[in-house]
Amino acid sequence: MATHTEYTSESGEPIWGIFGEFKDPSAIYHGAEIVRDAGVKKWDVHSPFPIHGMDEAMGLSGPKVGYLVAFGGMLGASGAMLMQWYMNAYDYKFIVADKPFFAWEQFLPVTFELGVLISAFFAIFGMLALNKLPMFYHPLFKKERFLRASDDGFFIAIEARDSTFNPEKSRELLERAGAFNIELVEE
Amino acid sequence: MGHIVDPDRAISESKVRLAPGAARMVGALLMAVGAVALVITVVMMATAKDAATQYQALAAYHVGFMTVMAPTLGALVFVMIFQQVNAGWAALLRRQFENVLSMVVPCLFLFVGLGLLSTFFGPLWKWMDPEFVSGDVMYEVKKPFLNTTFFYVRAGVYFTIWTVLATMLRRYSIQQDETGDPWLTAKARRMSSYGLLLFALTTGFASFDWLMSLDHHWFSTMFGVYYFAETAGSSLALCTLIFLVLRQRGYLQDLVTVEHFHDLGKLLFGFTVFWAYIGFSQYFLIWYANIPEETAWFALRKNGGWEAYTFWLVVGRFVVPFFILMPRPFRRNKLILGFACAWILFFHGLDMFWLVRPEATVEVGAHIFERMPFSWLDITGILGPVGIYLGLLMFRIASGPLVPLKDPRLPESLAHKNYV
Repeated sequence: MATHTEYTSESGEPIWGIFGEFKDPSAIYHGAEIVRDAGVKKWDVHSPFPIHGMDEAMGLSGPKVGYLVAFGGMLGASGAMLMQWYMNAYDYKFIVADKPFFAWEQFLPVTFELGVLISAFFAIFGMLALNKLPMFYHPLFKKERFLRASDDGFFIAIEARDSTFNPEKSRELLERAGAFNIELVEE
Repeated sequence: MGHIVDPDRAISESKVRLAPGAARMVGALLMAVGAVALVITVVMMATAKDAATQYQALAAYHVGFMTVMAPTLGALVFVMIFQQVNAGWAALLRRQFENVLSMVVPCLFLFVGLGLLSTFFGPLWKWMDPEFVSGDVMYEVKKPFLNTTFFYVRAGVYFTIWTVLATMLRRYSIQQDETGDPWLTAKARRMSSYGLLLFALTTGFASFDWLMSLDHHWFSTMFGVYYFAETAGSSLALCTLIFLVLRQRGYLQDLVTVEHFHDLGKLLFGFTVFWAYIGFSQYFLIWYANIPEETAWFALRKNGGWEAYTFWLVVGRFVVPFFILMPRPFRRNKLILGFACAWILFFHGLDMFWLVRPEATVEVGAHIFERMPFSWLDITGILGPVGIYLGLLMFRIASGPLVPLKDPRLPESLAHKNYV
């Protein structure tokens, strides 16, 4: 993994970032607001379950997956129409019940279905891509304590590649946000 | 994060009650326009020399009646669904749906008017004319169901059911404003359970009777659902528009918020797609099977000047609102949402016109029919019922609080929020 920072830990390893623990959803919600207001951009909140309103507390912009789905839907629908036109009305003219070769009516079910299918593909794979999944390694997993993020732990992690990062200042920021057990994480 | 809001503190009189005199001017104006249009239509009908003009005016009045009947029935189904599924988010919105559904009584009078006009100047439903259907085998088999007496008996049953449901559901809600008794919610909920079943049956049969039987040869099992799609879409559009206007006039601040509008927009989007889905399903099977007695209805609407109308109806009722209501920021923008609502209501009227008006044909020779050209009677005939309906609705909105005051689900509705 490329090194993003000039900071190194005591053992000489490059530092990935810093993370701290929070007591409950309410504490981490208000903590996130403080970190957001400090202008930190490359950071994340980890909780065992979705916390309502967290995207706002983190200052995240709206989800982008919808645009991908809309694109996928239009791609699927127009592709399906084109495919059927090519097959039944152009390449191999096919008479069905004395209908016109290019009767949009009979092509619409396939157009609809393919529109749904391709938009669903864009939804699921677009979501995975936007979340950078699958991800086989993450520095935070080295910390035994962090595994509780899928059980009962609430964490905020600030990455060293953030422009405001500084081991001491970021520690102070997390303290001010109400975090405890603050630790540096090596890459 | 959701904050618990105390309804008693959030709701103040100035926010939920129209200022004295507000809306009454517009209401009176709309009623006057409707009344004048109605009088002109009836006078024209009475003085017309030819049956064709009479039929045209009658058909136009029928379009107006079905146009206002749809949001009324849609409001009924939404009130019952809100009560039945215990919809917390919609508790604040329910009152305007109740106002619209209470318009079922004016609709009853409009229908009585339609029946009388049809009897004197019609009949509007051609199968009611014994001469017209004599020797018609396809009518003979339907006669036990489709005869004038049973037709009006059925209409009476529909209106009885709708009026009882509408009156009781609204009364429970109004009573709760004063007493705050939570058991009234339970009562409304119990009534909604069987009410929904009754609604499905009566609305389906009413659309068969009033619209589908205009061409008594034609039948489509999908037709009831098609009309339901219109009722749901038009009532959502009308109620959303009412809330948007109220907000714009300075009422309901901090009560009905962008979050509620967002959800209304989602429902509106859904029922726009639903309309297209049902409309296409109906058309597709008939087109594919290609049986003359079924295709006749669409053939009438895809030929002789109606083909462009049919095309633009699909574009206006589905394609345009589909793309307007799809992006989230558009649904959360009051101006764009209001435009979409007005647009959908307009095309809802055009859809009703499309269902009724092509049936207005003149027999110029033995079994040779010619279409009647458009005239200003089409406009006055529609304007009559629509103007009176909207005018009375204005007075109804002004008559009481704009939201339920003591619904037990109010805190949930006040704190309603869309999380992404």
